Amino acid sequence: MDINSWDWIFQLLGRLHPLVVHFPIGLLVVALFLEFLTLGGKRQGLREGINWMVFLGAVFALLAAVLGWLLRTYDDYEGDLVLFHQNAGIATAVLAIVTGYLLHTTLKGKLSSYIYYRIGLFATVLVLVVAGHLGANLTHGEDYLTSVLPHNQDSYDNERTKVLLTELKGLDSLSEAQQEDLNLGVRAILAHNCYQCHSENKQKGDLVLDNKRGVYQGGKSGPIIVEGRPEESEMFIRVSLPPDHDDVMPKKGKVLKESEIRLIELWIKNGAKWSDGALKIFPEAELALSQPELPKGNTESHPVDKIMDSYFKEKRMKWPEVVDDRTFIRRAYLDILGLLPEPLKIDQFVGNGDKEKRAKLIDELLADKHNYTQHWLSFWNDILRNDYSGPGFITGGRKQITDWLYKSLMENKPYDVMVKELINPTESSEGFIKGIKWRGLVNASQRTEMQAAQNIGQSLMGVNVKCASCHNSFVSNLTLEQSYGFASIFADSIMELNRCDMPIGKMAEVNFLYPELGSVEAESVKERLLLLSEVMVKPENGRLYRTITNRFWKRLMGRGIVEPVDEMDNEPWNADLLDWLAADFVESDYDIRHLMKTIMTSKSYQLESTRLENQEDLQKGYVFNGPILRRLSAEQFSDAVSQVVAPMYYAAAYDPDNEGLPSNRIWHREIKFDRDVLPEPGKRYFRNSFNLNDNKIQAAKALISVDHSYVLYLNGQKISEGTDWRKVDRLEVTNMLVQGDNILAIEGNNEGTIANPAGILFAMKIQYEDGSEKLITSNDKWKSTDKQPGKGWVNAKYDDGSWQGTRNYGSSNWDKLVNFTFDNPEKEFARASLVKQHPFMKVMGRPTRENVATTRDEQATLLQALELTNGEYFNGVLKEGAAEWLKKYGDRNEEIVLNLYQKTLGRNPTDKEKGIMLSALQTDAKEEALQDLFWSMFISPEFQFIY
Amino acid sequence: MDKDLHINARRDFVKKMAAASLSAATTSIPIASFLSSCNSAPAITSKADTVILLWMAGGMAHTETFDPKAYVPYSKGVESKRVLSTFPKVPTIVDGLHFSEGLESIGSVMDKGAIIRSYKSADLGHILHTRHQYHWHTCYEPPQSVQAPHIGAWIAKELGPVNPVIPPFIAMGQRFTVGEAEELKAFHSAGFLGSEYGPFLIPDPSTGLDSVRPPQGMSLKRFEARYKLYKELANKSKIMEGGSDYQRESLMRSMEQSYRLLNSPEAKVFDLSQEPKEVYDTYNTGRFGLGCLLAKRLAMNGGRFISVSTEYEPFLGWDTHENGHTRAAKMKELIDRPIAQLIKDLDESGHLDRTLIILASEFSRDAIMEGRPGVPVQDQVDQPDIIEDEKFYGMHRHFTDGSSILMWGGGIKKGLVYGKTADERPCSSIENPVVIDQVHQSIYHALGMDPETNYTIEGRPFYTTPDGQGKPILDLFGEPMVT
Repeated sequence: MDINSWDWIFQLLGRLHPLVVHFPIGLLVVALFLEFLTLGGKRQGLREGINWMVFLGAVFALLAAVLGWLLRTYDDYEGDLVLFHQNAGIATAVLAIVTGYLLHTTLKGKLSSYIYYRIGLFATVLVLVVAGHLGANLTHGEDYLTSVLPHNQDSYDNERTKVLLTELKGLDSLSEAQQEDLNLGVRAILAHNCYQCHSENKQKGDLVLDNKRGVYQGGKSGPIIVEGRPEESEMFIRVSLPPDHDDVMPKKGKVLKESEIRLIELWIKNGAKWSDGALKIFPEAELALSQPELPKGNTESHPVDKIMDSYFKEKRMKWPEVVDDRTFIRRAYLDILGLLPEPLKIDQFVGNGDKEKRAKLIDELLADKHNYTQHWLSFWNDILRNDYSGPGFITGGRKQITDWLYKSLMENKPYDVMVKELINPTESSEGFIKGIKWRGLVNASQRTEMQAAQNIGQSLMGVNVKCASCHNSFVSNLTLEQSYGFASIFADSIMELNRCDMPIGKMAEVNFLYPELGSVEAESVKERLLLLSEVMVKPENGRLYRTITNRFWKRLMGRGIVEPVDEMDNEPWNADLLDWLAADFVESDYDIRHLMKTIMTSKSYQLESTRLENQEDLQKGYVFNGPILRRLSAEQFSDAVSQVVAPMYYAAAYDPDNEGLPSNRIWHREIKFDRDVLPEPGKRYFRNSFNLNDNKIQAAKALISVDHSYVLYLNGQKISEGTDWRKVDRLEVTNMLVQGDNILAIEGNNEGTIANPAGILFAMKIQYEDGSEKLITSNDKWKSTDKQPGKGWVNAKYDDGSWQGTRNYGSSNWDKLVNFTFDNPEKEFARASLVKQHPFMKVMGRPTRENVATTRDEQATLLQALELTNGEYFNGVLKEGAAEWLKKYGDRNEEIVLNLYQKTLGRNPTDKEKGIMLSALQTDAKEEALQDLFWSMFISPEFQFIY
Repeated sequence: MDKDLHINARRDFVKKMAAASLSAATTSIPIASFLSSCNSAPAITSKADTVILLWMAGGMAHTETFDPKAYVPYSKGVESKRVLSTFPKVPTIVDGLHFSEGLESIGSVMDKGAIIRSYKSADLGHILHTRHQYHWHTCYEPPQSVQAPHIGAWIAKELGPVNPVIPPFIAMGQRFTVGEAEELKAFHSAGFLGSEYGPFLIPDPSTGLDSVRPPQGMSLKRFEARYKLYKELANKSKIMEGGSDYQRESLMRSMEQSYRLLNSPEAKVFDLSQEPKEVYDTYNTGRFGLGCLLAKRLAMNGGRFISVSTEYEPFLGWDTHENGHTRAAKMKELIDRPIAQLIKDLDESGHLDRTLIILASEFSRDAIMEGRPGVPVQDQVDQPDIIEDEKFYGMHRHFTDGSSILMWGGGIKKGLVYGKTADERPCSSIENPVVIDQVHQSIYHALGMDPETNYTIEGRPFYTTPDGQGKPILDLFGEPMVT
């Protein structure tokens, strides 16, 4: 016999749940009541009875829970309410049993006092009441109680339904506008309550309610609407059933509110007419900026502060304190340049009596174009999904826009021009809309055209197109059709709509999400892109400017005026502030540095940072009370270490002032089976001969860097050796060159235990007296061998006929050493923003930019802490730095401590701090001690946060 | 990751119940607040605590390993289309189950595990190994509009570490310095779950210890003194005066956790030199073998998800574009002994019951067919019709229509052979075809994880398997199908 045929028994038992629940309720509540009567040792006669009630109550509570479980399993219930009720019920049963047990042990004399049991009983009844209430909500509807209260706290949406219902209820005939409201009102109810199961995506009972055809066609059991007759319409019948009826719709536990049911009834009565009007189920922000006027009559001079003054008054709050000069200069440096201020700079600033010095500092920093660019590049790379490495590059399916971006930031290109160039790109900016193409077939929602739509939506417009590229969005008003229309702008051919990767036989029509801005229809992609780029940047498209303004506010203040920053339809905490800033940005001719300056010169930016006890305080109900404490970004952290201690990075993926020297490294070609493989550890030998003509040499210089170590010979003479591939050895070789044949010979060594990258980077520049130049660089024409060569291999005469050509390993394993340059050797470190994604930065929160990343996770993690604590990379840098510092400061411990504090924290140590540090330095192992001081400093909260 | 990422994931029911009564008893936490993350799925009893994934990177030919077909020995002039297997069959301990020659040791432990012979990789068009690997490890086809988490990250996030001192997601054997490195990185990632759940990478298992002890060259004494120094300075700092804030506190807490972890004596789990020499030697067929040894030590001491890869490097390892026969023989030498020993050791110590071991590859190979029948994709490897040179003898093309997955422990039925591929070309899955969603759900099933575990990211509920649709293969556990 099939086990399933016993289902009816379980189902029957389950349905006894509503009956049985009343036993524990009665027993336990009365038990508690009687228990109160016995407090203070009175009425001991009740004891025996109470005991029975508690024991029986516990048994019935357990039984009720089990039956409830069966009811839940064998009948159709869905939704959160059922869950809450279930859990509360189980908790009741557990507590009741615990209480019973406590009572039992108390009676046995094992527990000295009734107090434990009494607490247990009290808790049980408390949870029982909650469970009971939730259960009642299930059977009678959630608004059973509240609907009769004079001021019930209903949701906004339902409020709309009610208002509509009151307006239309008594009328004999409806005006056209009223009919339209009614139709849309009903569609909104369907959207909120029915789409989940009855939509094109999920057609339960073959019923589809998210389009006209579906509503009138009905489901498995035929049409659901009889026009004019609600009482005969399946739709109305099902929604108006008692809340615990098996056939009630939506499912038990999720039934409609009374007003919603009445509105549907009214709608059917009025002929159940359809409206094609755009249904805005979800709130949407106005497209245009509201051009708010600044509040008058307050003493603040800065526009932002005027708005904030009103805000604080409204909230009955006082202005928080403004930070001191030291905190301010550190904040401003980190925000504009991403670097720490030099101690001297801080002292000058603090000592400066100029009232306008903060504004002047901001101007000065914004004018430091390279450093500004090298900081903000990371922000833009995140948003525009631009990176130096990552999936897609290998098969040519992805393109950088770094050069374009760098130059745009350098010259402070107006934002509207930037947007235009991203959307209607030149070769240097086309990477953004090109997307990432993986080899092979991809999901329809990930076609590069769709990626373009998604990324423009998210990055520039703050709207989520991703959901709607698979199906009509559940989180916004966007439809599948709209996103395909948008994506079609970028498509060479007509796109067929795919729902969840299945073609639906409908062709997309080119359209922009916000058609009111203007048409983007045209024959060719090129024309459409031009149109789109013009439409997008119109000042009427306030959304574009609001979105970027909000991103800058978030970056500088720690929290957006709208959150999340990609959902610009959400309510801002101060709409006037956002729109005023955005409007001012438009007026400034889309000047990004102006926007930054406007925010940063306000008192609001200069307030003390807010300390929040919980992360949740940032979310719902957020109230501005000064900037949020921000953690240094991975790049800021790395650059600060580079500034203070020793370079974190010597090489960059992008070099803004490249002088044409090679960055490719060569090594001996190694083959395993039949393939090129990474070189095994060990020594390899290299030779390159070159001929010099009769031109007189004025000067000759060489640069060399080898992974891992090398010895260099020029014309048989050893001239240099090195063991650090990150560093460049600079050689003066003018007098070593000869007319005719010259020979460069290198003994290179690859260290390690397993095969790993190795490579030689070499450049020699020979300047002749006649002004001409010759450049000799490492390339695959060089010869190499892995056998120890015989004597004289470093001489020109040696026969290297049996040696083979080298392999060019490119630069991707090493990037470009920033001081591999003849012209500009004083660059000390590579700015982290220019460095390829690196495990250290990755763990510190730099995103891999396979997708647009508009918010970084600032939360500290264990992997991060591990990397900081024992990461070879970071600790290696500290080690290197400690040696440098000791070379510089020697025994002058006080100077070390002072400098460390000033450079990292921008202040002097307190006496206590100085004492601790000085005593730590009182040791023979001073270099180690200094490393440990560095470490303690860099992981301290005061360093890692922007206060 | 969105700040307001909602936790929809259903939690372990028993835990919840305990928490429910506890918090009700203390009444300090509003009941609704913790119930809100709770969901209704019936509790699944877990059968395993630990997962070891033995990853055959590069596309292991099923016909040359665990699903041998007719053996056609090499002879000059043999036709490519006649070559189904380049090795003879050998029996295993399970009656009627044969493996390819060179896998005798693994064959000898098949009475403790099961084999799926009908795994079908996704059809992703033009073959790119890392895309298929991404798909295998995340269950999602790249690209995705948000970053998909690795299965290890899901498990780390949902179940946490078994032993708090051992990171819950450890990936061994793969370096990220070679071809397709970026694509490899793309799925060795916790994706939107956040880097906290990302892999703890150990490219070379013999140096695994270095990742979990104080920095090299730092004595324990100095390590402790350094931490004390930091604490003292941090506590003396002015910023500590301004009351508490969650950011500073979580930062300091993470530092403390890391200090405790690195200072823990349990770090020696990562130290392979603790093994007796003969054990070490048995495992040591190279980095993969030592990875198996470290995986054993981790599984015995509270690892959660551990992967050991033969390492993917284009055209190396299992990625045989030439000399397929010779190289498959070498790869078998690499894996046969250590894998069998791993199973035996875990079995003897009693850990196999609660450890699920999976051996898999992104797809299989074939001498003729690229991709799968009926879905033409571009050939990537030249294969002559007539083989005149031994280097063309072997499985050089990428085949996605049938491959083998082996499983042991964690409730897996012993001696089971599930599914079947055709004995003639194309050697496609012809019985009980299995797709990746089922594989993942079977792993989650063994771990007792809800099949509909999901988080909302950018407004989209993102499930462990696409749309939460996949079903575990209950036959693997000898369980009846639920109607």
